[in-house]
Amino acid sequence: MTVTSYTERSNQKIDEVDGLSVPWSPAAPRRKGVSARIISAATILAVLAIWALSARLQLVSPVFLPSPAAVWNKFFVVANDGFVDATLWQHAVASLGRVFAALVAALLIGVPVGLAIGISTVGRGIFDPLLEFLRPIPPLAYLPLVIIWFGIGEPSKILVIAIAMLAPVALSTASGVRGVSQERINAARSLGATKRQVVRHVILPSALPSILTGLRIALGAGWSTLVAAELVAATRGLGFMIQSAAQFLVTDVVIMGILVIAAIAFVLEFIIRRIERVLVPWAGRE
Amino acid sequence: MPHLVLDKISIHYEGQQAPAVERVSIDVAKGDFVVLVGRSGCGKTSLLNVAAGLVTPSRGMATTNGRPITAPGSDRAVVFQNDALFPWLTARENVAFALRLRGVRPAERARRADELLALVKLTDAGDKRIWELSGGMRQRVGLARALAAEPEFLLLDEPLGALDALTRERMQTTLLDLWTASHVGVLMVTHGIEEALVLATRIVVLAPGPGRVVRTFEPGFSRRYAAGEAIRTIKADPAFAAARGELTDAIFEGEVA
Repeated sequence: MTVTSYTERSNQKIDEVDGLSVPWSPAAPRRKGVSARIISAATILAVLAIWALSARLQLVSPVFLPSPAAVWNKFFVVANDGFVDATLWQHAVASLGRVFAALVAALLIGVPVGLAIGISTVGRGIFDPLLEFLRPIPPLAYLPLVIIWFGIGEPSKILVIAIAMLAPVALSTASGVRGVSQERINAARSLGATKRQVVRHVILPSALPSILTGLRIALGAGWSTLVAAELVAATRGLGFMIQSAAQFLVTDVVIMGILVIAAIAFVLEFIIRRIERVLVPWAGRE
Repeated sequence: MPHLVLDKISIHYEGQQAPAVERVSIDVAKGDFVVLVGRSGCGKTSLLNVAAGLVTPSRGMATTNGRPITAPGSDRAVVFQNDALFPWLTARENVAFALRLRGVRPAERARRADELLALVKLTDAGDKRIWELSGGMRQRVGLARALAAEPEFLLLDEPLGALDALTRERMQTTLLDLWTASHVGVLMVTHGIEEALVLATRIVVLAPGPGRVVRTFEPGFSRRYAAGEAIRTIKADPAFAAARGELTDAIFEGEVA
């Protein structure tokens, strides 16, 4: 029960928050006048204008709020010359590497666990309470324990992100498995499919749209855990870069780092939606 | 000769007062086209599921060729009312599904699938995705997919139930053509009285509360179609109208209006 409600809720939230069109959402009725897209663009421009203006009029000290131009310039400076011993590119690669390593781990564990929850009562009995326990804990809460157990090396950072990704992947997989139509399974069995073949040829592909949704949510969760994971003993990474900059009150690098993290998250989301459209074109069309 | 036998089957679903079906016996031989008709709640789909191996009877014995039916198997391929096709596969891959399960080589199974698609008059639809097909086309793919398993028996659970009247009419002749071409034994559930008369070599009329056999007919119109007579001539025959009246009476006999 908790499983379905969880993914549905998360789904809905993501679809509402980002402005990207969802292939299965009904077309919005055309209204006369301005569209939401234009209003959004205007909002962003207004925020930028207020920011630029307050910096120009020195309403706030540049130490706290550098001008947009300063942040923009810093982007190129850090991209070319680097900050805290690494270029922007190297920081980004370090962070992306951690997130993708964690994603692979979360998929390798989460999909089989989700299958077990969806298919067998024993699997659900074992994993459901564990996941429900793990899901609501903020990463900063278990970070110290992970460090005590696994040290301050790279594995700990990946593990912290992977833990945050595990529940969304497993629970989405489980809800996808439970949504498989019984008729499809019966049809496959009457065509001679063994139980194993039913899982491989019917249940997994049927659950694929849901698994991809889980992956999308997981990537969001992992990306937002990044800064926490890079709190301790990192030498590279976007989160580490922001924290080091904050310690020296280099606010323009802090803001630039935040914007880069946001931009990467946006691009990842966009790529996954493309992948969804290629891999599961049937979603919502049955 | 292959035989599908349901012998004195009773089905009592858990948590229900009365049995859904009580002591029903049905025999389908290879080349038979047996149609189950009856009002709602007479247990016709339950009986079909017993033959499919999807429901275990509380009493009685279901066998094919003398062996008890304990699980679904490709000797008894099922076609459901909602096609239950796989949307991640093309029409051709859907048809070839049973062959893929058996490890048949891709080239061979594509060739076989195309033959079957031609048989159900969908020659050019092999590369189409399921959602690009109309309801009638989907049901044709479903039939071809079932036949690809080379079953001895075809179990049809209201396969034309979700189709519009015109498509259903055309699908009736398709079903008859498949039946004569493949020499399988068919057990079909339907709500359509005319459909039952056109298709069946034997009609089993069931009554509800609990499900039991009240009459059997051997209409013989499908044999006439197989012998080459046009479907329209058959339906225009006064004997057809008479049979329809008799079958309707049998179905609604004893019903409190």
